[in-house]
Amino acid sequence: MLIQDIMHHPVVTIQATDSISAAFDQMHEHSIRHLPVMDAKDTLVGILTDRDIRYATSALTDKPVARNDAVYTVMSKPPITAGPRDPVEEAARTLRTERIGALPVVEGDALVGIITGTDLLDAVLRLTGLEKPGSRLAVALPDKPGQLAALTARVADEGLDIHSVLSYYEPSEDEMPASHLNVILRVDTMNVRPIAAALREEGFAVRWPLDKPAGT
Amino acid sequence: MPTPLLFDNTYLDYFFGPEHPFSPDRQRMLCSLLEALPIDASFTAPPPATREEVCTVHDEAFVEAVERCSTGDLPATVRDFGLNTADVPTFDGMDAAARALCGGALHGARLIANGTAGRVLQLGGGLHHAHPRRASGFCVYNDLSIAIQALRSEGMRVAYIDIDVHHGDGVQAVHATDPDVLTLSLHESGRYLFPGTGHIHEMGRGAGEGSALNIPLEPFTEDESYLETFERVVPFAIERYAPDVLVVQCGADAHFSDPLADLLLTTHAYDTVFQRLIALSESHTEGRALFTLGGGYQPDATVRIWALLAHRLLDAPLPTDLPTSWLDRWSHKAEGTLTPTLHDDERSFQVERRDAVETQNRQVSKRALERIAPMWY
Repeated sequence: MLIQDIMHHPVVTIQATDSISAAFDQMHEHSIRHLPVMDAKDTLVGILTDRDIRYATSALTDKPVARNDAVYTVMSKPPITAGPRDPVEEAARTLRTERIGALPVVEGDALVGIITGTDLLDAVLRLTGLEKPGSRLAVALPDKPGQLAALTARVADEGLDIHSVLSYYEPSEDEMPASHLNVILRVDTMNVRPIAAALREEGFAVRWPLDKPAGT
Repeated sequence: MPTPLLFDNTYLDYFFGPEHPFSPDRQRMLCSLLEALPIDASFTAPPPATREEVCTVHDEAFVEAVERCSTGDLPATVRDFGLNTADVPTFDGMDAAARALCGGALHGARLIANGTAGRVLQLGGGLHHAHPRRASGFCVYNDLSIAIQALRSEGMRVAYIDIDVHHGDGVQAVHATDPDVLTLSLHESGRYLFPGTGHIHEMGRGAGEGSALNIPLEPFTEDESYLETFERVVPFAIERYAPDVLVVQCGADAHFSDPLADLLLTTHAYDTVFQRLIALSESHTEGRALFTLGGGYQPDATVRIWALLAHRLLDAPLPTDLPTSWLDRWSHKAEGTLTPTLHDDERSFQVERRDAVETQNRQVSKRALERIAPMWY
């Protein structure tokens, strides 16, 4: 998934020479928290966040700015940006390491979009979400070539359609690299236990569905 | 008012093949058990639903695809309609068999709407996964939604209660924007179980916001936590929603022996739920309630649960033991071991982290009510 797949565009922006109160009104009107700041030549020169405004105008700061002061006096610069063909996980990493909330998306000199932490949450929902009914089949695979292929081929042999695949390394208890990859498939059947039992029989470590607790 | 039991032999034609879990043998066993027990089990045969009646819920293009599948003339796009899949294989006469089941639910709805019956038991159907243009999870046509639309066309406000272990996604989708149909589903969480939906944030859309209530339960929820959750949610919902009629999908697959799911209920929990639903319909809908069957893939448990339902609806005293002749006749359908009593023996399970299961169920039902209740005042 690339940034261009999930970014917002067109982008609501503000001119560097506009007033802080105009920026404040823009944010409220569009219910947004980040405004890319453009100069007279329509080049991105900074980013203004709702927090920038709060800090700059608070009575608790040493020299609060006035409502008619220009945006460029309080904006963050230079802006940290992303490219439209960067993977979304790179955007997520940048937001986390820089401790910021949004990235203007720039192609050449042109501002083509913006991506925020909220967009990344939407991306998580899409990556993990369900668009079609199905059952969960979770298997821990040894970290060796061909394991995922063997699993999906086995599922295909049963005539089942795989709607989604999610994987992550199983957390390991010591410093050793994780040796198992948790793979969660969503398959298009209500009756998932027969394939789970067959996989177990063939040596796969099936993590869901589990056998039910015994009753007495 | 007597409780009609609706059944016709054409229901048995809804048959996906001998290896498929959704087997009409369950109804054969059930009807034969009801006839063998000392209750008044006379069945009323309803007419099948017409194509027009099916189209009150389903898209014409989907119905056409089902009709073509019924004659073996599969359209190229068949899988886009959820047909010819592992769960919904096609078979000759599929359309007619599915319409027979819809006809039963529809007939029950009409008996209730015209005041001929208070409560009705439809001995089939409960095909709650069927969507307007997509078959899914053993369900071709959505008999429940077709019945609900018939009740709506009579101006009735409907509360649909779904106790099948799977989320009632099809019924929810059909009525999501209708403020006069509450769809309330208690099910094993979609995080673990098919179809994957039924989260508490699904609360209806548009004008129907606040008309869908979902209670996703943890795997290995047992009787006590299930009944606690039911009592917290269902009476309150029915009271606030003030429906004219209940439509109840009585899937028996939350039973501990069910091969498809993990909720670990016994027949005792089902019996309590059935009695509570009847009492709630007496106190809130003047006794108007349509009950259907649903999922349930362990024939032994499924048949006993539905026989319990029939007894409670008929106000008949429960037998302790099941007739030997019936056990002998059908034991081959349950690997030779049918339970000889209507109820399960008392039973306890070795569930790890039972506290965590109970706490999670409590929190989820609380959060679901906190989010939806403001829309009801």
